[in-house]
Amino acid sequence: MKTYGGTPASARTRKRVGIADFAVTAEGAVLTTSGLGSCLGVGLYDDRADVAGLIHVMLPTAPDDPTNAAKYADTGIDAVVTAMREAGAAPDRMRAKLAGGSAMFEFDSQDEPIGARNVAVTRAALDRFGIPVDAEDVGGDSGRSIRFHGDTGELRIKSAGTERRI
Amino acid sequence: MRVDIQSLGTYNRLAQEGAEHAAASLTSMTGIETYVDVTNVTLMSKRDVEDVFGGTEFVGVQIGLGGGLSGETALAFDRDSAASIVDVLVPGTSTGDDGEFDEMARSGVKEIGNIMMGGFVDGWADYLSTSVDMTPPTYVERDGTDVLPDGALDRAEEEHVFVFESQMTAVDQEIDAYIYMLPEYGAFAEMLEASDDHEDAIPMDKLTVFDEMTRQGAERAAENVSSMTGIQTDVDVSRLSFVPIEDVPNTTRDEVYLGTVMEFKGTPGGYLAILFDEPSARTIVDATVPMELDDPLGDMGESAIQELGNIMTSGFIDGWANVLQTSIDHTPPELVHDLGTAILSPIAGRLGQSQEYAFLMDSTVVTTEGEFNCEIYAIPDEEKLKEALDSLLVERSDQLEANRDSIF
Repeated sequence: MKTYGGTPASARTRKRVGIADFAVTAEGAVLTTSGLGSCLGVGLYDDRADVAGLIHVMLPTAPDDPTNAAKYADTGIDAVVTAMREAGAAPDRMRAKLAGGSAMFEFDSQDEPIGARNVAVTRAALDRFGIPVDAEDVGGDSGRSIRFHGDTGELRIKSAGTERRI
Repeated sequence: MRVDIQSLGTYNRLAQEGAEHAAASLTSMTGIETYVDVTNVTLMSKRDVEDVFGGTEFVGVQIGLGGGLSGETALAFDRDSAASIVDVLVPGTSTGDDGEFDEMARSGVKEIGNIMMGGFVDGWADYLSTSVDMTPPTYVERDGTDVLPDGALDRAEEEHVFVFESQMTAVDQEIDAYIYMLPEYGAFAEMLEASDDHEDAIPMDKLTVFDEMTRQGAERAAENVSSMTGIQTDVDVSRLSFVPIEDVPNTTRDEVYLGTVMEFKGTPGGYLAILFDEPSARTIVDATVPMELDDPLGDMGESAIQELGNIMTSGFIDGWANVLQTSIDHTPPELVHDLGTAILSPIAGRLGQSQEYAFLMDSTVVTTEGEFNCEIYAIPDEEKLKEALDSLLVERSDQLEANRDSIF
């Protein structure tokens, strides 16, 4: 039987996370997501188990029976923690980093801006698992693209032409 | 007929899942990590179809469907993407210097096409609890609309056609693939048809009017750009699509844009974003600012874009207000300079609090010489859109067509 091509190493080491989506790695892959505006990127890392996860949530609180848990901060954190646990991580060893949650526009700056609510609900959800937030780069009025290094837990942020690491 | 929004949503999700199966097949056969960017269902007129597909050269397969789901499908790659994939599948055959695909390369495309489309169709068959028959794949290497299943365009001439479109992209490489499915109109319309007492339904004929309104809004905005810049412009693409709210931000390219965004209030409420990619913005600034600027996208340039955004916004709004015979209140257009997805994410977020799917009207304003292009996204609030359509008399649109000169 004919078998098809091998897998280039580079394709295995980077995973892209879409909007309302998450990814988990136990192989130290770099997890990336781009164009975070009011959305929030949450990187989770258990350095003993060497398991990392990244989620890109869009809205703070899920309705009953959401079709996609990863879309919301509350159900999304549950989902990524569960997936990381299945990959061998333990919630009491996990640490978190946050990036995103900006208020891009005037019309999204009053009446409880979505970005700020995403941050608040995410913090509460992490709190329930006792997961500390090590570092964050949230708020402001610019979008962000991030790379979360699954081997070290380092979060690199690109925003408005600048680059920083937390 | 009235369209049941819920079931439109369900079919959109089936197409999304199907595309994910197809992308997974592509990944497992080639080792190229791919993901599904956007899946939408679009209601297109013949003109829309021509605008979307015109001028691009595709390589792919066509497969007809029968049984529980009748219609036509096409899997299309742009030429370079197809060459990269063939190169992995059947190394050494690939393409000659003249870009021709040889027999081996073609059968590679057919094979991957068959497998990917099999994955795409399986989910539909499961959902419909029926079997779906697939014809053997036909290899196609064609320009523009010819890549679409035969007869699709003729049907579009008579009525609007539903087009399911999924775009797949590779993580680390420049590879783009598209799946199109055009369900047979009559049968699909029946699947979508809402019962009379269904609250969550939108009248089909009015939806097509709305599509036309958007085109006219975009045309009016384009005229305003022309008169400000002195560069002749045209509306290249204008279409109405139905997408999961979380896919709205991905409809822009992964690029930095300059433009304006505003919220319109009342009926219909929603958001309007007018976005120029950076090279386009530079061209516009050069054409409108009388002096040479060190940084064309600095403060001076941004204020030129702001002004243009204001003018285009008012053109667009005028088009809608005239059809709806109502004034439309809106917030002042706000200047934005950021990644496209970041720009649309707060809009998706705000609408996403009350709706799972969005009607997205996107238009592209282009120039004949390709100096710049501008993307216009109008995303109405679903509830407000329903109200607006309910109060819209379909005859209005005919009148609009007849009296367009006197109205505008």
